Amino acid sequence: MKVEYINPFIQSVQETFYSMMDCKVSHGKPFPTKDDGLSDNLIGIIGLSGTAQGNIAIKFPAETAKAIVGGLVGATFTEIDSSVVDGVGELVNIIAGNAKSKIQGHKISISLPTVFRGGMHKLTSPTVSYLTIPFKSDKGAFEILISFRPTVNEKEEALHESAYSG
Amino acid sequence: MKVLIVDDSQIMRKIITGVLKKLKVNDILEAVNGQEAVTKVSENDDIGLVLMDWNMPMMNGLDAVKQIRAGGSKVPIVMCTTEAEKERVLEAVKAGSNDYLVKPFNPKDIQNKLGKFLAACTS
Repeated sequence: MKVEYINPFIQSVQETFYSMMDCKVSHGKPFPTKDDGLSDNLIGIIGLSGTAQGNIAIKFPAETAKAIVGGLVGATFTEIDSSVVDGVGELVNIIAGNAKSKIQGHKISISLPTVFRGGMHKLTSPTVSYLTIPFKSDKGAFEILISFRPTVNEKEEALHESAYSG
Repeated sequence: MKVLIVDDSQIMRKIITGVLKKLKVNDILEAVNGQEAVTKVSENDDIGLVLMDWNMPMMNGLDAVKQIRAGGSKVPIVMCTTEAEKERVLEAVKAGSNDYLVKPFNPKDIQNKLGKFLAACTS
């Protein structure tokens, strides 16, 4: 996956957490996503379509999800309730929406977010590969998972880019 | 002043409600999709401001703005959305939005953006 497709997502995570929660996050080295089997993670996922296709997901351990969504609204959550689930969906929506505006030369639409509990094995398939970017914050560690595939060739990308900037 | 918050995310509605209450706005209505927003605007002619999300189930915010304007309402509408591309902003303005607020935003961004509409309504 090209770095120009990865960096907008990293920047978007940093901007979203800092702007909405005054929370600084740092990221580690991206690696191919592994199947983590059954787990207690909360995963928010959103689909990308247009001149590129794929998905972006945000994966929180349950404790981190409660701390981060609590930070959004100034509340303390003791369990994964509908507010925490909703908050994870809204975060992946904002991160994906913000990132797509930073990806040059593409016209991308995002779907409505879906949130579920479990492991990444439910997202993996023989034809779709994800890249995991690990993040650390003072509210806990989490991961962003990206599957991004341009659907137009470079010549068409340039045409889209010139039309887009005009 | 009565403000209508339109967003399918309950967390986002809660964040915006918190900011409005700090601005002494306590008369707040909520809608969870565009269709509900169109209905609430038609039933409440004392709404002074609508804060409209874009991507929502049932009916999106852009279509809701178009329907609200088609119904003759001149209520100020601020799009509050992740759709930050220039052409999307122009699309929203063309449909009848008065202003635009891009997510992610912090409470101060909302206060600054809403301040001028609230001042206009209370002056």
